Amino acid sequence: MKALTILKTALGLAPGCKKVNEFLAEYVDGELDDKTRMQFEDHIGLCGCCNHYLDQYKTTISMTKETMEVNVPSQLAEHTLTFLRKNADFSGS
Amino acid sequence: MEPTKEKESEQTARQLPDSEVATTTAEGAEGAIDLEALLAGDEKAFEQLVIQESPRLFRVIVRILGDDDEAESILQETYLQAYQRMHTFRKESKLTTWLYAIGINLARASLRKSRRLSSLEDQEVEKMQPDFNRGMFVETPGAWDPSKITELSDRQQLVRRGIEQLPEDYRTIVVLRDIEEYSTDEVAQMLDISSGAVRVRLHRARGALRKLLDPHFRRQPAE
Ligand SMILES: [Zn+2]
Repeated sequence: MKALTILKTALGLAPGCKKVNEFLAEYVDGELDDKTRMQFEDHIGLCGCCNHYLDQYKTTISMTKETMEVNVPSQLAEHTLTFLRKNADFSGS
Repeated sequence: MEPTKEKESEQTARQLPDSEVATTTAEGAEGAIDLEALLAGDEKAFEQLVIQESPRLFRVIVRILGDDDEAESILQETYLQAYQRMHTFRKESKLTTWLYAIGINLARASLRKSRRLSSLEDQEVEKMQPDFNRGMFVETPGAWDPSKITELSDRQQLVRRGIEQLPEDYRTIVVLRDIEEYSTDEVAQMLDISSGAVRVRLHRARGALRKLLDPHFRRQPAE
């Protein structure tokens, strides 16, 4: 790490690994304010641990997204409407 | 809707030095459904709600339950309850958020009744987060190379099994946030918990999944 970043982290002026990790969801999801986001970027750019962790965290999210395919039954809505006509005061069209 | 108790460890507020976490706004198209007609009991409008939201709501319920047949009957029950309780919708949230809250609660009740339990406990999820000493990583995370598992279907199998192992409330948040991409605030409304609790659980769920995948994806040291 660069000396200045190390010094700032030691003085509590810049976030360390723990703080970055605690707010990693907000960082990845773009929910941090600009100033904090830049502080996080500074840290992650210089810290191999956080760099690897972030990479794995993002990989985990993208694999989650691509993995949970669900086949939706073709008559799903029609079945529900039939159910409603049978069980509720619902005639529909 | 039964209130969900927030977990004790989440009540200790996380703090960033002189900054606040920006809040996301929950807005978006409600589709072409005429809300006033719906509230007035218009069947045509309700039919449209069924047609429009069934596929997505079904996917959410299947991923929580892991059972297609049960998910279809939960979906039907959800619409029945929504139809009968339409007059209780207060427009404090989006209509779909209200509808999904009903569906998720029914799915949870079904899961409890069937006693299908996920294999991880809350405390285990906690222990799967990285350790820090003086604010720094205790153990350096080893680099990953997911392609060392060559078949895509094998990789997907690993991830799927990991998600199924998560405790239900963590899995539900992963499904809503990371798969269906609802905003943090929408998920908070659907689950009747704070946005902060959604963020904390989402982060822990992702951390636990990362930990489960780590031994499989870790790059072998060069010979
Ligand atoms: Zn770090």
